[in-house]
Amino acid sequence: MELFDNLLLGLSTALQFNNLLYCLIGVVIGTAIGVLPGIGPIPTVALLLPFTFGLPPESALIMLAGIFYGAQYGGSTTAILVNVPGETSSVVTCLDGHAMARQGRAGPALAIAAVSSFFAGTVATVVIALLSLPLAALALKFTAVEYFSLLVLGLLAAVILAHGSVSKSLAMVFLGLLLGTIGIDVNSGAARMTFGIPALSDGLDFVPVAMGMFGLAEIIANLERNEVRQVVSQKLRDLVPTRADLKAAFPAMVRGTAIGSALGVLPGGGAALPPFTAYALEKKIARDPQRFGKGAIEGVAGPEAANNAGAQTSFIPLLTLGIPANALMALMIGALMMQGIQPGPQVMTEQPALVWGVIASMWTGNLMLLIINLPLVGLWVSMLKIPYRLLFPAIVLFCCIGTYGISNSVFNVWLMLGCAMLGYFFIKVGVEPAPLLLGLVLGPQLEENFRRAMQLADGDPSVFLTRPISAVLLAVVAVLLLAMLSPAVLRKRTQALAE
Amino acid sequence: MPQFEISHVRPQGRRLDWPDLLFGTFLIAVSAGAFAATAKLSGGSAADMGPGYMPRAIALILLGFGLFFTGRGLMRSHAGIERVQARPMLGIAVAVGTFALLIEGAGLVAASFAAVLLAAAASRESRLFEVILFGLCVAAGAVLLFVKALALPVPIWPW
Repeated sequence: MELFDNLLLGLSTALQFNNLLYCLIGVVIGTAIGVLPGIGPIPTVALLLPFTFGLPPESALIMLAGIFYGAQYGGSTTAILVNVPGETSSVVTCLDGHAMARQGRAGPALAIAAVSSFFAGTVATVVIALLSLPLAALALKFTAVEYFSLLVLGLLAAVILAHGSVSKSLAMVFLGLLLGTIGIDVNSGAARMTFGIPALSDGLDFVPVAMGMFGLAEIIANLERNEVRQVVSQKLRDLVPTRADLKAAFPAMVRGTAIGSALGVLPGGGAALPPFTAYALEKKIARDPQRFGKGAIEGVAGPEAANNAGAQTSFIPLLTLGIPANALMALMIGALMMQGIQPGPQVMTEQPALVWGVIASMWTGNLMLLIINLPLVGLWVSMLKIPYRLLFPAIVLFCCIGTYGISNSVFNVWLMLGCAMLGYFFIKVGVEPAPLLLGLVLGPQLEENFRRAMQLADGDPSVFLTRPISAVLLAVVAVLLLAMLSPAVLRKRTQALAE
Repeated sequence: MPQFEISHVRPQGRRLDWPDLLFGTFLIAVSAGAFAATAKLSGGSAADMGPGYMPRAIALILLGFGLFFTGRGLMRSHAGIERVQARPMLGIAVAVGTFALLIEGAGLVAASFAAVLLAAAASRESRLFEVILFGLCVAAGAVLLFVKALALPVPIWPW
């Protein structure tokens, strides 16, 4: 059985002592930033990227992946105890999780959230292992034509499923693509839009862009809102949920896992969409929907399972096709490129230890999270007592050092500053910066494949419609676009993303 | 009811959709800049694209988006923009700028301390004594973490 061989190879990689250590570091950092509102996984991963350069590729990716799914765990802890969602993915957990905490049932709520996440993470690991092989096999048949269509589909789906106005997000994708063309043109060697700055000849580095737009701009916006954060101090008694709790939560856990796994694979799915969908489903099929919002345990189990499953399956397009499903996966691509690995289907066959090691590490990482979250929950909550007035200058400094550290370049620090101002402008005019980052990372690949495809077809664009796989992909794009124009879908989407 | 009459008479199109308008003009400016910067690059043909083909094609699409948003911003009356506060923005900008100016000449300790102090000035809640103490701790921590543990090649002191 090839699958078992692969999983065994993965486990033997993930269980190496130093990989276990990096996994632990990743999930601990992830939990910490998940607990702290105001700093998300995107700037954190961007910050740590330069320092993964010296690590072997599998250790680097294992650690960065750990940050991502660790943040989902941490985010739900604060959602339940303090009613502050550490991450967008745990917004729905606030509803019933915090209600349970107010009834003195914080312990069972935390335990169910952790168990659901672990269960979902385990199942999602198997899903990734099962889906990766056929997808990668399919992707090996791809030529430049199919790749171009796939990239178009990925970018467009990411826009449609993400938050915010579709037309503005589309504009941001193109803005990202334009920024992606900066640098020396590979085919002709001509410098494009470098304005005579040598640091730009290799293209715009996305780490300063990500840190400026997601890290610093967010801080500026946070400082303008004077939010008062109150920590509910509560003794945690009996962490162990009752048998009735488990019985009620288990079906919700299974449904949430299924939803999360399915939505996570879609570009743009990631960790934000699945919990909302899972919560809506639980409420719909419950015998007594009135209980929701007042401490229904299914309202914790379903969304928690969904967000963890989604966080993990969003690695599938990255590992098999080399296409990021969201802005965070775009950073993962960056991590691969820094290691000299060109993302794409060939990674599966050329670097099996890397791919399967990362997949298996998600399981060991989830196990670690279960252990470091439940007994140590008091420690994480006490982190919330660090006042924001001390936290944010430290984050600003770390962003500066991290950006400088990528290539010891002061230019990158100035670039980050410019992007911070730009990101602040985007916040003010209500545009999401995530599509821009996707466009920036995928831009060079998109252009490369487009040019090669057009060259092969002698400048005839109909080639994208005559090749079957490409035609199917573009048909999906057309359907998505048409669906977006229909008012009924538009209303549904607004509803679904209302929170 | 005279009040009702007045509210009806008041022209609706007076207020603009500022977010759309600003975003639209921003996109137009970016695409104009891209056209200007790539003017000298050859475009080539669809079968054999030159270096200028893609940037100009994308800039053209951005121009379209820009005109669309600007137009919509002028037509629709919608809420304005949240008030821009100078202090957080300036504080962060000056902190990052100072770090960039100091890091290579004055070393990590001075740059870190200055950046923390200036960034803290962005918030009204910061307290001077606390920030100085905290800045010293963070600067020491940064040296330990980034130079000692992660081996970042950067000078620690100005000498």
